[in-house]
Amino acid sequence: MRGATSAPRGLGWLLLPALLVLALFLGSVALLLFHAFWGKDGFSLIYFRQILDRADYHDVFLRTVSIAAIVAVAAAVLAYPIAWLLWRLPRWRNLLLVIVLVPWLVSLVVRTYGWLVILGPKGFLNETLKWAGVIQSPLPLIFNDLGVVIGLTHVLMPFSVIATLSVLLQIDNRLEEASESLGAGGFETWRRIVLPLSLPGVFTGLGITFLTSMGAIVTPILLGGIRQKMAGTQIYQEVVYNFNMSKASAWAICLLLLSGLGLALLRALEAALVPKADR
Amino acid sequence: MNAPIVKLGRAASFALLLFLPLPILVIGATSFAAAGYLRFPPGELSLRWYAEAATDPRWIEAFVTSLGIAAVVSVLVTAIAFAGAYACHRLRPRWLPAFELAVMSPLFFPHAALGVALVNVLAMAGYLGSATGIVIAHIVCTLPFAWRPIVVALQRIDGEIVEAASLLGADERRIALGIALPLARSGLVTALLFSFIISFDEVTITMFLTGPQVTTLPVQIYAFIQENASPVLAAISTATVVVTLVVVMLLERLIGLEFFVAHDPA
Repeated sequence: MRGATSAPRGLGWLLLPALLVLALFLGSVALLLFHAFWGKDGFSLIYFRQILDRADYHDVFLRTVSIAAIVAVAAAVLAYPIAWLLWRLPRWRNLLLVIVLVPWLVSLVVRTYGWLVILGPKGFLNETLKWAGVIQSPLPLIFNDLGVVIGLTHVLMPFSVIATLSVLLQIDNRLEEASESLGAGGFETWRRIVLPLSLPGVFTGLGITFLTSMGAIVTPILLGGIRQKMAGTQIYQEVVYNFNMSKASAWAICLLLLSGLGLALLRALEAALVPKADR
Repeated sequence: MNAPIVKLGRAASFALLLFLPLPILVIGATSFAAAGYLRFPPGELSLRWYAEAATDPRWIEAFVTSLGIAAVVSVLVTAIAFAGAYACHRLRPRWLPAFELAVMSPLFFPHAALGVALVNVLAMAGYLGSATGIVIAHIVCTLPFAWRPIVVALQRIDGEIVEAASLLGADERRIALGIALPLARSGLVTALLFSFIISFDEVTITMFLTGPQVTTLPVQIYAFIQENASPVLAAISTATVVVTLVVVMLLERLIGLEFFVAHDPA
């Protein structure tokens, strides 16, 4: 709605509230840096050394990154068929979209609790299998890395569905028609036309789910075991139980750097896989 | 040859889709089980867990707190986003791309890092463990989600209407409140409901900010799961699912859900 009339005046103050929120956010990031790099006598790397010098913390970083990578890939692979289904059934799309959106928007603590009820040692799955005589003793499905991966993958799948679907909906129908009229079957058309065109959406989903897994706290605490620490759970512990804001801030900066590195790698991979015109 | 593959693919995709609401459905079923846990074959049904939740002041208080915080956050963040997005839209400042990137930047922060950052700043301001602090944090986190639908709605407004109003002597106030505000209502409603639901269900960042004085429903659910996984939790959780479902259905009825899968027009 840009008019040819003279530039409107007196609107600048409308930006103030948004600028205030922004200042608050940027201020909180500045404080994060200050806490992490400022020791008793000025600039110091002591808090980073407290983290990086400990071998058990190396395991925490490694676990955080590997779980985030596994979860991102699993969510992308499992979400793709769902996005494809919603794309292929335009008449049902709204109803199916509700089935995707509601689990996505329901509090993740509730969804995680659901997995606890299903996968726990006395959970629905184990009790049912025992009742059916398939197993004698409960399968260890949670309180380990497997539980964290299952929980996080499920919690984050809707992100991947939405990211992939929004790109699928951009595809020109005529491309498919042309492919099929040239004799390619449904699967062939998907493999050679639809899949390459939908990859940018898949990569967007991978980025979001990777980033969110990196910073997860609730699901790893509830579904992981005592030893399954991740960066997020360490940060939470430093803040809430140890009141060590400096160390927590240093952890947060390590987490930010690792996440940024992961996203940069993902970007490079996308650049290598997706032809330029599609991006 | 291909038809069976496509059919099989469709069936498998449908199964995967039903996997998404599975934990929620299991919780819902558990909340009605008299025994307090779900088993197969199912046992007796009962509403006792709902009765227990509804008579426990801790749950009522947390529920009211969460609804209140979500209401305040959604109204404030929608107002802030509309004012800001409208000004940007009309003024077209040269620094607009940088500004929008800054508005979106909380999205690029892993939640654990965002939580620590917000604890730092809210502790300094003395708002840690207060409803005000939670509201401020939620506004920071929901602004990107409120901003986008409003920008999209503003871009859809026909520029000639504004021009005509301007030529006929409408002042800026009149254009903003009499034209842009009603014509952008789809974006405003989306922003309002979307930020409400995010605030109501947020747990990861909020659990850094609650205290003995104030806690939200999701954070209290988390605390109770850690203490003792009483079946009351299933009833409470089902209540939060109902709130979320109602808001999503409201959005679907009023505006539609296309916004979630619409490609960035920018």
